[in-house]
Amino acid sequence: MRLIARFALEENEGLEVLTVYADRTERMRLEADERIDSIAGRHPAAIWFERKLHDDFGIAVDGAFDSRPLLHHERWPKLHPMRKHFDARTVLSSHPFKPYPYETVAGDGVFEVSVGPIHAGIIEPGHFHFSQAGEDMLHQEVRHFYKYRGIEKMLEGKTLEQAWPIVSRISGNASMAYQHALRDIAFAAANKPRSDRDRGYGALLLELERIIHHLTDLGFIPNDAGFGAALAYASMRAEEARRLMRRLTGHRFGFDALRDTVPGADAEAVRTFVRTLREQMRWFEAWITDIPSLLDRFDTTGVLTRFKALKYNTVGVVARASGVALDRRDDDFHRARGFETVTDDRGDVAARFTVRLRELFVSLEMMEKLLDGAQESLPDTSDASGEFEAYSEGALGELYLFVQLNNGRITRFFARDPSFMNWQALHLMMPGNIIADFPLINKSCDLSYAGNDL
Amino acid sequence: MIQFWEKRLQTGIVTEHKEYDERMKALRRELKDAVKKKFAGSLAIRMVDSGSCNACEAECNALSNPYYDLERLGIAFVASPRHADVMLLSGVLTFNMLPHVLDAYAQIPAPKWVITLGDCPVMQAPFEKGFAIEGPAGEHLPIAHHIPGCPPSPDAIIEGLLTFLGKI
Ligand code: SF4
Repeated sequence: MRLIARFALEENEGLEVLTVYADRTERMRLEADERIDSIAGRHPAAIWFERKLHDDFGIAVDGAFDSRPLLHHERWPKLHPMRKHFDARTVLSSHPFKPYPYETVAGDGVFEVSVGPIHAGIIEPGHFHFSQAGEDMLHQEVRHFYKYRGIEKMLEGKTLEQAWPIVSRISGNASMAYQHALRDIAFAAANKPRSDRDRGYGALLLELERIIHHLTDLGFIPNDAGFGAALAYASMRAEEARRLMRRLTGHRFGFDALRDTVPGADAEAVRTFVRTLREQMRWFEAWITDIPSLLDRFDTTGVLTRFKALKYNTVGVVARASGVALDRRDDDFHRARGFETVTDDRGDVAARFTVRLRELFVSLEMMEKLLDGAQESLPDTSDASGEFEAYSEGALGELYLFVQLNNGRITRFFARDPSFMNWQALHLMMPGNIIADFPLINKSCDLSYAGNDL
Repeated sequence: MIQFWEKRLQTGIVTEHKEYDERMKALRRELKDAVKKKFAGSLAIRMVDSGSCNACEAECNALSNPYYDLERLGIAFVASPRHADVMLLSGVLTFNMLPHVLDAYAQIPAPKWVITLGDCPVMQAPFEKGFAIEGPAGEHLPIAHHIPGCPPSPDAIIEGLLTFLGKI
């Protein structure tokens, strides 16, 4: 059974913990002592959820083998900001530095390497902590939440329309994924079916976003193996795709594009783009798969076995490249528009590279079949109340959104970014590889920090 | 590889906005001798993300694609603050990043400048000030120049950097 999320709500009657699985949701009201039992033994990916439950709400987790703070770094005062009595505008005072005990491996000659939060390139901040035996990585701990902006709390009290620009910018590279899911929530809250045409417009832009993302990766992955020419080529294609996004939405990332009324997309511009890019990427594929020294770096590097991909409930390209056929687009709507699930059984950098390349061609095909979309005005949710959830499959994988509304105002917003799952599985790919391959392995997964940290 | 070189020769140079080269030349001539000496003909930037949505970083990365090719102007992104003249700061300055940002700033040898990138660090992006956010950046660091936008396009970033060079 696949774990999707574990989070809490606070209502008048007290705290409630929701555990979302692929086929059902378990709800549990907490007693006055506010304790839950850990499920991390069965679902290792529950670890971060449970650590977050404690930081956010002060919920104690019995049987947890890791109860270090997650969001609250060394200088946090002791407080639980998701509690209703906590005012979002509180100004925190910095507390004395409390060192964070990292996971380490002890042994003769074993040493530690600390990387980040500020990395060498133009990348988001996060910390990686390696235990090394010479060049070999024995273990890696991923420590994040440097970008924790408190967005879940920030959104409380807002209408969906007011929340839109913020949700649009939770993760800039996945703006369409977030907006597409939020739009589903708006329709559900208004108790109005979202038409195929409306969904089609969002789906078109979501495929374009995926193409931009995959193109960027298809350049950066070879670049991190020392083959810069691929980046020069693929980054030109990514730039052209971004310009199409601007042409269609007026914005290079499509921020707020799924909120407003749109009569339709410029079909001719899309067709020309698809035709050109398909040809260019066929050339790219023939070129890149003909470079044995490059493929040699990809093959058997950073393997995630299918067993572990399932055990850690990974999503997106990471899961599919380990042979797990999991894609939120796998439904009648998308299949009728050219979708097919792409998987690869190898689980290594080569597999993740190949899945991205093949998915790019699928997305191009889908774009051609999604040209009749148009967007209605956002339905009125001013007196909507209730709980709503939605999923989307962005370039990084499955996104899960949960929104609780009371008379049109958000009383709880929870987002489980796809990267929140995959970051927790990253360390599994390290043993047996040398530290110089870490950037390559990391890039092949291309995970988000902003969406993860929220 | 034959296919690659064929393609390479067919494509030629795609870099746009050659007018920047001209302006840069003019600007270089105008720059005071002292500054010329300080930058030795090149400007080194350490980009620091203090809690962005990552779109501002994506646009900075785009500056290296062949359409913009920023390095031809002698402006380079460097790996260490100790190699930098300028900190280019994006993001809302989260509570968790603030000490690291200040650390990085302290590591940049003087003379040094901070340029804020995008609406986030000046708290003009849609994110509201709250418990986890320490922005605006001006309350913590001396800001020499600001490049607005959400995100600023690669063109706007180049414009902004040239304006900054003209200012100092
Ligand atoms: S300024 Fe806008 S684009 Fe840049 S990081 Fe902030 S929200 Fe993202």
